[in-house]
Amino acid sequence: MKQIATNIRKNILHIANLAGSPHVGSALSCTDILTTCYFDILNLQDYENRDYFILSKAHSAMALYSTLHEKGLLSKDELEGYYQNGGTLPAHTDRLTNPYIEISAGSLGHGLPIATGMAHALKLKESNRQVYVLMGDGESQEGSIWEAAMLAPQLELNNLTVFIDRNNLQGYGRADEILSYEPIDDKFRAFNWEVLRIDGHNHQAIKEAVDFKTDKPKMIICDTLKGKGVSFMEDELIWHYYVVTDEVKNKAIRELEESLYEK
Amino acid sequence: MRNSVADKIKKIAKIDETLFVIAGDAGLGVWDDFKNSKQFINPGVNEQLDIGFGAGMSLMGHKVIYYNIAPFVIMRPYEFVRNDICYQELPMILIGTGSGITYAPAGVTHYVVEDITLASTMPNLDIFSPADPVEAVECFNYAYKSKRPSYIRIAKNGEDVIHTEKIDITKPIFINKNDSKNILILHGSIVDEVSKILGIVDINIVSVPMLTSDFNWEEFLSGYDKVFTLEEHFINGGFGTMLRDKIDKKIHKFGLKNEYIHKIGDRDYLREYYEIDGKSVGNKVKDIING
Repeated sequence: MKQIATNIRKNILHIANLAGSPHVGSALSCTDILTTCYFDILNLQDYENRDYFILSKAHSAMALYSTLHEKGLLSKDELEGYYQNGGTLPAHTDRLTNPYIEISAGSLGHGLPIATGMAHALKLKESNRQVYVLMGDGESQEGSIWEAAMLAPQLELNNLTVFIDRNNLQGYGRADEILSYEPIDDKFRAFNWEVLRIDGHNHQAIKEAVDFKTDKPKMIICDTLKGKGVSFMEDELIWHYYVVTDEVKNKAIRELEESLYEK
Repeated sequence: MRNSVADKIKKIAKIDETLFVIAGDAGLGVWDDFKNSKQFINPGVNEQLDIGFGAGMSLMGHKVIYYNIAPFVIMRPYEFVRNDICYQELPMILIGTGSGITYAPAGVTHYVVEDITLASTMPNLDIFSPADPVEAVECFNYAYKSKRPSYIRIAKNGEDVIHTEKIDITKPIFINKNDSKNILILHGSIVDEVSKILGIVDINIVSVPMLTSDFNWEEFLSGYDKVFTLEEHFINGGFGTMLRDKIDKKIHKFGLKNEYIHKIGDRDYLREYYEIDGKSVGNKVKDIING
């Protein structure tokens, strides 16, 4: 799994460099969540009966595109057309670009309401298919998140699992200095969610949290580091915006490859 | 109009289990005999969620209808309508009640005098503004079969039936036809001012239930000298404006002045205040025709 996650991180750095696009830190932050979901959790064998993964923090679209490529669901040409003039994939997702990109997103606070509707529709059909959502921690400042947070337990949506990429760095700094969402565990518990808090870079912990049985909608708060895997990007706000130059890319990829051989 | 459309929805729901109504805590008395159905959900007072939730159900193959008072359908959750429904090309049906100044005594929060402006910014959203229960049901039928998103603005309940024959809502429908070279185009519930207008000036009058059809207005209006539009909507940004963008002809527009309304009174009082009542419009049309 670590090798797969490293490949995905290398893909992210590759297309960020090709495109000159921002948000590389956000994409690296949630890479392990995506890796575990797509390679150890989601049922994607039968397209018509697949599980759904909703990327609500769609400024991390590079992580989704890179994961889909690693999974063989998005070609190299599609991947390298990211953020290019006349290209294939936008900076934020457009569901019409690839059959495995489930929703068009980018404006924060949309993914959870949509996923709630999808999960409810599946419950009505008595389907056992699952809906997974990945949202940002700053995104929890959006009112629509709390509207959906109220509704999901009311509808008993135990087929809905939400990951919060809790890297504690939003667009302008630390959430607790801007608008604190903590204690976010207690807040969702008070809304009658099953809440788990884990290391968001530990694949085993992510898998175990998803496997945890409950009758409630599930919120998995993943403590993460923005820029995870590249030492000089980790927990640094600037990598919400900075562009990956050739030099930065080469240095970062060298670090990632070296880390594979660390015990 | 409201109950005619609701009755139609309930009837279809019996044979189409994919049909689903989301009511944003609105519709008391309208949905009472349907509210316990699995095909009905009231998620509460949260318009952003209503639209996003509906989009999610629509993505899963449901034909979703969102019902609320018009300001809370198109204006409050505008960005959700744009991103979640229209950009994603989902065939959801938005039904807004209390179009124009129907709920005038309730105050500006419950008016919707700029909804056509907002709705018309979304390229694939079909906009309907029926004038009577017959038009309203036909607009719903069209939207139900459509693969595009739809917005149907309706006034309330109890409007007179003006059509007794089969109608095509994609074209202007004559309410009064004569040999004059002048025509008044209107949409929505302001049609109930027609008899007063005709009492002052005899003019061709058409109702336009579907504001976004690809009807050839240039050709249709080529035989007319003076063209007038009347609507219970801001005068700038409504159907008159949409039409002016489509044709190379002067249009005399009647509508509500683009200003915040602080006057207190019912719909008829405000129509008179803003001179879009039948008498005011009839006299102004007559003056323009007579030069």
